[in-house]
Amino acid sequence: MSIFENLRMAFGSIAANKMRSLLTMLGIIIGISAVITITTLGTTLRSTIKGAMASLGSNLMYVMITEKDVDNYYDSLDVEMSNEDMLTMDKIEKFLDTYPGEFQIASESPIGNANLKNSKGKDVTVNMVGAYDGTLTYNSYKLIAGRNMTMEDVKLKKHACLVSDIFVEQYFKEKEEPVGQTIKITLSNGIVQEFNIVGVYKYNGLSNGMGDRRSMSTPVYIPNSVAEAITGSQGTEYFQFMMFTYSLKYDAEVAKADMESYFKSLYSGNKNWEPMVESMEDQLKTIDMVINVVTIIVSVIAAISLIVGGVGVMNIMLVSVTERTREIGIRKALGAKKMTIKQQFVIEAIIICLIGGIIGILVGFLNGELAGVIANSVIKSNPDYADILGDIQIVPSVGAIIISIVFSTLTGVFFGLYPASKAAKMNPIDALRYD
Amino acid sequence: MSKTVINMTNIIKRYYIGQPNELQILNGISLNIHEGEFVSIVGASGSGKSTLMNIIGALDKPTEGQYFLNNTDISKLNDKQLSEIRNKEIGFVFQTFNLIPRASALKNVELPMLYAGVSKKERTKRAKELLEMVEMQDRSSHKPNELSGGQKQRVAIARAMANDPSIILADEPTGALDSKTGHLVMDIFHKLHKEEGKTIVLITHSPELAAETERIITISDGSIISDTGVDSDTQENITNVTGNTEVSA
Repeated sequence: MSIFENLRMAFGSIAANKMRSLLTMLGIIIGISAVITITTLGTTLRSTIKGAMASLGSNLMYVMITEKDVDNYYDSLDVEMSNEDMLTMDKIEKFLDTYPGEFQIASESPIGNANLKNSKGKDVTVNMVGAYDGTLTYNSYKLIAGRNMTMEDVKLKKHACLVSDIFVEQYFKEKEEPVGQTIKITLSNGIVQEFNIVGVYKYNGLSNGMGDRRSMSTPVYIPNSVAEAITGSQGTEYFQFMMFTYSLKYDAEVAKADMESYFKSLYSGNKNWEPMVESMEDQLKTIDMVINVVTIIVSVIAAISLIVGGVGVMNIMLVSVTERTREIGIRKALGAKKMTIKQQFVIEAIIICLIGGIIGILVGFLNGELAGVIANSVIKSNPDYADILGDIQIVPSVGAIIISIVFSTLTGVFFGLYPASKAAKMNPIDALRYD
Repeated sequence: MSKTVINMTNIIKRYYIGQPNELQILNGISLNIHEGEFVSIVGASGSGKSTLMNIIGALDKPTEGQYFLNNTDISKLNDKQLSEIRNKEIGFVFQTFNLIPRASALKNVELPMLYAGVSKKERTKRAKELLEMVEMQDRSSHKPNELSGGQKQRVAIARAMANDPSIILADEPTGALDSKTGHLVMDIFHKLHKEEGKTIVLITHSPELAAETERIITISDGSIISDTGVDSDTQENITNVTGNTEVSA
């Protein structure tokens, strides 16, 4: 007998008892929908966070000087960090020179708003930010004209600056070439300084306030050394923490290993302090781990639900076998083999579980979409998040769907087998006589 | 000389073997039934005729003795082989019709062919022919609960004929019908016998019904007490009408 005939028969008998079949499926539906809901939320969360991190610059890595792990509290007493223990620009520059082109400094220090007047006398407000060569990468800004900031600009304290496309629109006449122009900036302390525009970047970050391109203030990046000179800030020559970006042509693992080995050897002689290197990738991994743990817990609950659902399926199949004793007797008298009868009932159990599984998947989808609608409306009410997170796209987990289908089939096989073999083993004479 | 379809030698059937309530139902039945015969097995209830029918129909195996159906030793077959015998060699007609309630008349007739692995197209074609033969072609899409008793039994006869079996085994086929429809059903058996040359074994407790057949075997207390049939060596009065031109196909 063909599988098609078996399927037709199974659907026929399920359709004959619609309400009963639906109630039987309920356990399976609940189990599968729980898994699909959670995995959908998990993958959505993961992709949203990844997206948000990418907009913040995911190829980010930092080194932090921390106290060495000591075995007991007594030994860890009274260790003060001396200037020698800290990172200095010298140390960092040596590191950058060891791996030319691999790392850029991402740290930046905002030094407040500043004002300019354009050729028509209108005010243009900007945010002055002390930066290094990694700033644009760190902010995920694209250079659209001129050149990037270099370490040389920083070392030589050049009055070079990077401005946004929005600033260009606000300050210059249309079609005027901004690169190479010198602008006069009135700083917050009233001092006026001249800066030479070396590059223009495309601004796509957070909008301050209403995001009107005509009145927005965008960052003007100047070499950090120049910024320090302006603010007269002391002590920033020593760092406990430094953020880097690595060029995308390098693998995250390689970049991290290079950075770790360099700073470890730099601090190999230090008794109390050691460098700790972390990347955004590591942070993502931590989030992944949390999501995975939640998924595993929900899967265990779903597995219990599947077992309970499966027992329900088994129960109803046993009822069905008893109800259809006479039918089984007739089929056997007409020449159905044990195997044929067994197949018929196992397939029926599989179909019940599979339909339950598919309904569960659909319910899980709906739950995910619902969560998406709620999340998006919450985000929309809070514009700060809206810019980073954007519109959340619900991403169903394909793996979970495949696993759900496989497991509901297996549940059908496992819990259908006993009732099916009970049917197959029936003596045709007794079965025919059954009322 | 027509060939022997059923050859039973000293068939014994016991139940509860080795237990204090051991029960012997058949006490050594020996029986030959030839191709084309219309035989009735008559007996009161408890005489063992149902047990004998089960053994003839390959639903049960004898405790002792030999049963050859078309020269196949039934007592040596396993469950799977017995299923095949029931499927291809035997056409059952039951007192209570035993149609599958959820399936249409057509699907019911197709069922033995489904188990025999006949293709869908051929199944439907043959099932339609068979329903036409029992004059049920107009009801082919009806479910059993939409049919009268006589109609159900006609569908059941069509189903019994599906794989063109060696014997039709009818267990009180008119038992659940009034006398008029009972006669109509009997007419179909006579038609099958005369026109198609079918070997038919009719199990009944009714002497009137048995009288319609050409050979009456009477069973009492698990033994044959009378057989109006001729000895298997002399075959002259057995009509062999196979090859009749009026076969409706």
